[in-house]
Amino acid sequence: MLVTLRHRLHETFVRWALRVRPPEPSPIILTQRRVYVLPTRAGLAYAMALGVILLGAMNYNLSLGHALVFLLAGLGIVAILHTFRNLVLIALRPGRCEPVFAGSPAQFALVLENRRPDARTSLRLFIGEQEPVEVDIEARTSRVATLGVPTTRRGWLPMPRVTIETTWPLGLVRAWSYAVPELDCLVYPAPAAKAPPLPWSGDSARGTTRDGRGADDFSGLRKHQPADAPRHVAWKAVARQQDGPLLTKLFAGASAQQIWLDWDALSGTTDGEQRLSILARWMLDADAAGLAWGLRLPALQLRPDNGPAQLAAGLRALALHDHGAH
Amino acid sequence: MARTSRPVSRRQAWWLLASVVAASAPLTQQIPLWLALAAASAFGWRALLTWQHWRLPPRWLRAILVIAGTVGVFMEYRTILGRTPGIALLVVFLALKLLELRAARDAVVTALLCYFMVLGQFLFTQTIPTAMLAALTVLITTAALLAASDDRPQPQQQLRRAALLLLQALPFMLLLFLLFPRVQGPLWGIPQDRFSAVSGLSDTMAPGSIAQLSQSDAIAFRVKFEGAVPPQSQLYWRGPVMPAFDGRSWRVVQTVGAYPAVPYSGSGTPIDYEVTLEPHGKFWLFALEMPATLPPESALTSDYQPVARQPVRNRMRYTQRAWPEAIAGRNEAPDLLRGALSLPKNGNPRIRTVSEGWRAQHGEDSAAILAAAENFFNQQLLIYTLNPPLLGADMVDEFLFDSKRGFCEHFAAAFVFALRAAGVPARVVAGYQGGEINPVDGFLEVRQYDAHAWAEVWIAGRGWLRIDPTAISAPSRINNNLAAAVPANEELPFLARADMAWLKELRYRLDAVTNGWNQWVLGYNPQRQRDLLASLGLKEPDWRSMTAVLSVLCGVVMLGLTAWILRNRLRVDPVLAAWRRFTDRLARRGIVWQAWEGPLAFAERAARQAPNHAGSITAIAALYARLRYAPDPQPGELIEFKAKIAAFQP
Amino acid sequence: MRLPELDLILADVNRIILGKERPIRLSLACLLARGHLLIEDLPGVGKTTLAHVLARVLGLNFQRIQFTSDMLPADIIGVSIFDRESGTFHFHPGPIFTQVVLADEINRATPKAQSALLEAMEERQVTAEGKTRALPEPFFVIATQNPTHQIGTFPLPESQLDRFLLRIELGYPDAAAERELLAGADRHQMVAGLGPRIAPQRLIELQEQVRAVHASSALIEYVQALAAHTRTAPRWQAGLSPRACLALLAVARAWALLDGRDHVLPEDIQAVLPGVIGHRLKPADDTARTDVEAVAAALIEAVPLP
Repeated sequence: MLVTLRHRLHETFVRWALRVRPPEPSPIILTQRRVYVLPTRAGLAYAMALGVILLGAMNYNLSLGHALVFLLAGLGIVAILHTFRNLVLIALRPGRCEPVFAGSPAQFALVLENRRPDARTSLRLFIGEQEPVEVDIEARTSRVATLGVPTTRRGWLPMPRVTIETTWPLGLVRAWSYAVPELDCLVYPAPAAKAPPLPWSGDSARGTTRDGRGADDFSGLRKHQPADAPRHVAWKAVARQQDGPLLTKLFAGASAQQIWLDWDALSGTTDGEQRLSILARWMLDADAAGLAWGLRLPALQLRPDNGPAQLAAGLRALALHDHGAH
Repeated sequence: MARTSRPVSRRQAWWLLASVVAASAPLTQQIPLWLALAAASAFGWRALLTWQHWRLPPRWLRAILVIAGTVGVFMEYRTILGRTPGIALLVVFLALKLLELRAARDAVVTALLCYFMVLGQFLFTQTIPTAMLAALTVLITTAALLAASDDRPQPQQQLRRAALLLLQALPFMLLLFLLFPRVQGPLWGIPQDRFSAVSGLSDTMAPGSIAQLSQSDAIAFRVKFEGAVPPQSQLYWRGPVMPAFDGRSWRVVQTVGAYPAVPYSGSGTPIDYEVTLEPHGKFWLFALEMPATLPPESALTSDYQPVARQPVRNRMRYTQRAWPEAIAGRNEAPDLLRGALSLPKNGNPRIRTVSEGWRAQHGEDSAAILAAAENFFNQQLLIYTLNPPLLGADMVDEFLFDSKRGFCEHFAAAFVFALRAAGVPARVVAGYQGGEINPVDGFLEVRQYDAHAWAEVWIAGRGWLRIDPTAISAPSRINNNLAAAVPANEELPFLARADMAWLKELRYRLDAVTNGWNQWVLGYNPQRQRDLLASLGLKEPDWRSMTAVLSVLCGVVMLGLTAWILRNRLRVDPVLAAWRRFTDRLARRGIVWQAWEGPLAFAERAARQAPNHAGSITAIAALYARLRYAPDPQPGELIEFKAKIAAFQP
Repeated sequence: MRLPELDLILADVNRIILGKERPIRLSLACLLARGHLLIEDLPGVGKTTLAHVLARVLGLNFQRIQFTSDMLPADIIGVSIFDRESGTFHFHPGPIFTQVVLADEINRATPKAQSALLEAMEERQVTAEGKTRALPEPFFVIATQNPTHQIGTFPLPESQLDRFLLRIELGYPDAAAERELLAGADRHQMVAGLGPRIAPQRLIELQEQVRAVHASSALIEYVQALAAHTRTAPRWQAGLSPRACLALLAVARAWALLDGRDHVLPEDIQAVLPGVIGHRLKPADDTARTDVEAVAAALIEAVPLP
């Protein structure tokens, strides 16, 4: 009950503190108005200790006791200024965010820029209840902080609200600020742990690959390997070079293996997400096997190909399947 | 946030150990030896623990040690309350806290305890060296606190950072110190052990008790005269008046004020002065004879001795006026006079015989008896010495007729005895005589070796008359000082000696500094605060106006410090600054320079938008491009650039 | 310190290739910066003419190599043939031994043949049959690549693309230029009528002069800021390499010299940026192929001048 009330109050404060409707345009500059300062628990203990020292100094009429307590009070004030200064006017820009599979944490990179000619020390960034990331930023440089957020669903995951805080130098006060940078992580569907075998089918359309392992058209030469058929040795080319290595002629052709990954072929599985998971698993397997594969989704078709670009395009299609926008 | 549960690193442990050692070391003399040794071994343990990566001692062992320490302190003092036991307990806890440094929280607690220990030092002494030591402790503790947040910097760097923070805190300290509304303590009862060891006059006087004081050159009080300093021979600082005599020692009777104001009237030129009295734990206040005014919170006893309501436990300051020629006690109460005549039944037969002779000769004429007594003392050829021989039961007789050697208490006691025996009321007055002007700051310093005792004799129609029997035998003691009066081969306190001029000079300077410290730092009390505010034009300051002034000034300092801290230490390039002025002016015309736009490209665009300034815009931009990007911009170009921008009015 | 001979060269080229001032200027800048040029465009927009004209007005000799899928490295570099009379092998240098090489449709050749050319470009020398032979100075390669994704082609991998200092597109001429082209004299005759404007030695001097163009610390900071932005912002897959930054500076220096300046301005950097980053910087969202100019403009506007 109390916890939920606290939580709600906190949320209200954050909404008020952020003022602008997230996500915010880049760069996000943590201006004076959006940096908040409150004492930490250590700071409260410090204040109480000062109170006790002051009472003692008053009671025993200790002039130096007064001096001590006032010096420490001054130190507390100076600590507020320094802590505030450590955070204020940092510029945040969204950094890179590589796509991930659902279930593994999205790694949001944030670029923190320090335009001031002295360093910023011990800044902590965290999202929600995640472990904070601690960074220092040298004078007039920027640093990248990478914040992990667990993912559960495929699609675009917008970067959640980031809290950036510091208690440097004395740990007595905490300055903090919130930001919602405009950064989205593409979450691929999690590849199914158990999937049917790759769908080999006789009617896999004939097409052309450009990996040069067919037999029809000459497409180039490479160094001879023992497994190459003798009839493919480029004797003419060998003759032209003196004591060069044997060369093998390469031909482009359709006999390179190729496979179609089809949404409709999985009609046995009723759950759409499950189908996407299986397709993702197939893509990874096909890619690992070096096959050229194509994808057929109800609204989208990818021509057979292989390589990282093909894999990225396929997984992206799966991630955004049925998501409309984006 | 509960995210600070990081373990304490080795570096942090070293820092905390250093700060605990710095905080406890000055208190070694105040705590019992066994505790000092135990604490030292705990520190050593901690050092080994950190050095050798040992595990922390188990919880049960720490619990046992805490209990043992507490019991030990209780056994030592029979209480755990009060100043010294409190400090001792703090040492116990601090030493054991070092053995359970686990999380960052423990580091903070330890640092805070160290700050407490600094206050503990001040309970015992507040001298300049103590303050310097305390400053060092605060510095190290602050560095330890810094290290608790970030332990990566090197020790020197950490100390430098701590020093910088403290330096920035200094203006606040000064303001708060001067303007924070002060309250005169104590707020509650102070445990009694605080002034057990202060030297000074006591409320009894036995032979040798003042001679003992004469070995000390500690300051009793300092005096600042409004006008000219009166001659040495007039500087009788009236202290405890001792009318009661038990055959051996003289004793104070009155400790409670009888008169709220001075009951006699003044005559002669008044002397105004201000006394800064060192705490001596007794009620009486010293005043130049005869006191004409009373310090606040004090009254006059029927012996005409100013006494405070509370024992003087803190250095206090009061202004006073003296009437050197006032006549007090013209109509003295009869029972008081009776008390000033009482003598033990037996003892000292020889002087009794002499006194009775005066009585027989002069009858009721007290003045004549007094003259006879003075004459007698003069004829006895008594010697003033710091090392009088020990005296037996009839000490007055032995002093006057046998040894003939004595210090002021012998003279005063013998004189009063002789007069009482002759039927003239008399009493012993203790106090200080003389003092020395510190040429550095002009304060008269009265030290313990200036302690003195003299006699007061009541003569009908004239009241109490001060007679100094010492002056009869050793006039130089009164006219000059102790050194002039005692034989040359006697050992004198260092400062009382006439030779060693340069050392004396040095000491004077040191004393002046100490006095300044006492006056302005330690003696900064509500009164002085009021005076300061009054001199600043704040008449009758109450806490509200003081708080207002304080907050305004603190705000000003805070703003200044904020500006200093947040200032961009980037020295702005004059070229960039001038360019900014230029683009700002154009921006007011609606021609906004984009931060990514090159100067010539911007000039082209701006010239299109403001065709009638095209010439100057292009020229300025070309100059800017040269100044910022060309290999060897000429200084003349900068001047031209600035001039062009100054003249530019779109 | 305007250099009139450079203006004359530009005027000559512009007279023949109409409406392409910017790509022509960039090509010359690339040559002055001792770099090689990649032109990615459709056939027939004047790539060959550009190479030819440049060689002509600079007084350089010129060779064209048409890349095909059965081309061997020896076809580019040259081959040693046994000379019966002298009884020794005699090296017959390939077409690469010239000052301006037009490598046409480089993506048609196999990677092996491509790398022979690219290595020669990089090293400015050729190693054949164990002997190293220096290429002539100045040495300038203009490679063309057909942008359409055709079957049986080998697009240059990213690492090889980096060896080209600049990548430009010529694009279709605008209506006015095209009309003039159609109505005007025969281009071949016009090219033939051109004479050299400067001596090869002078060109080498100019190349030296480019290196001496001053880049102030403020400008270098700017280049760093641009690179830093591409390395961290989510818009791009991988940031600009240090080599790309060097390329950017080199071209901007030449660009400044063409403008008659002895120092580089941010404007120079911005002007050459599309050509430098076009083949080096990949937008993260690769599926939507965006215009190079727009990508460069976005980068420029994201990074304030230091």
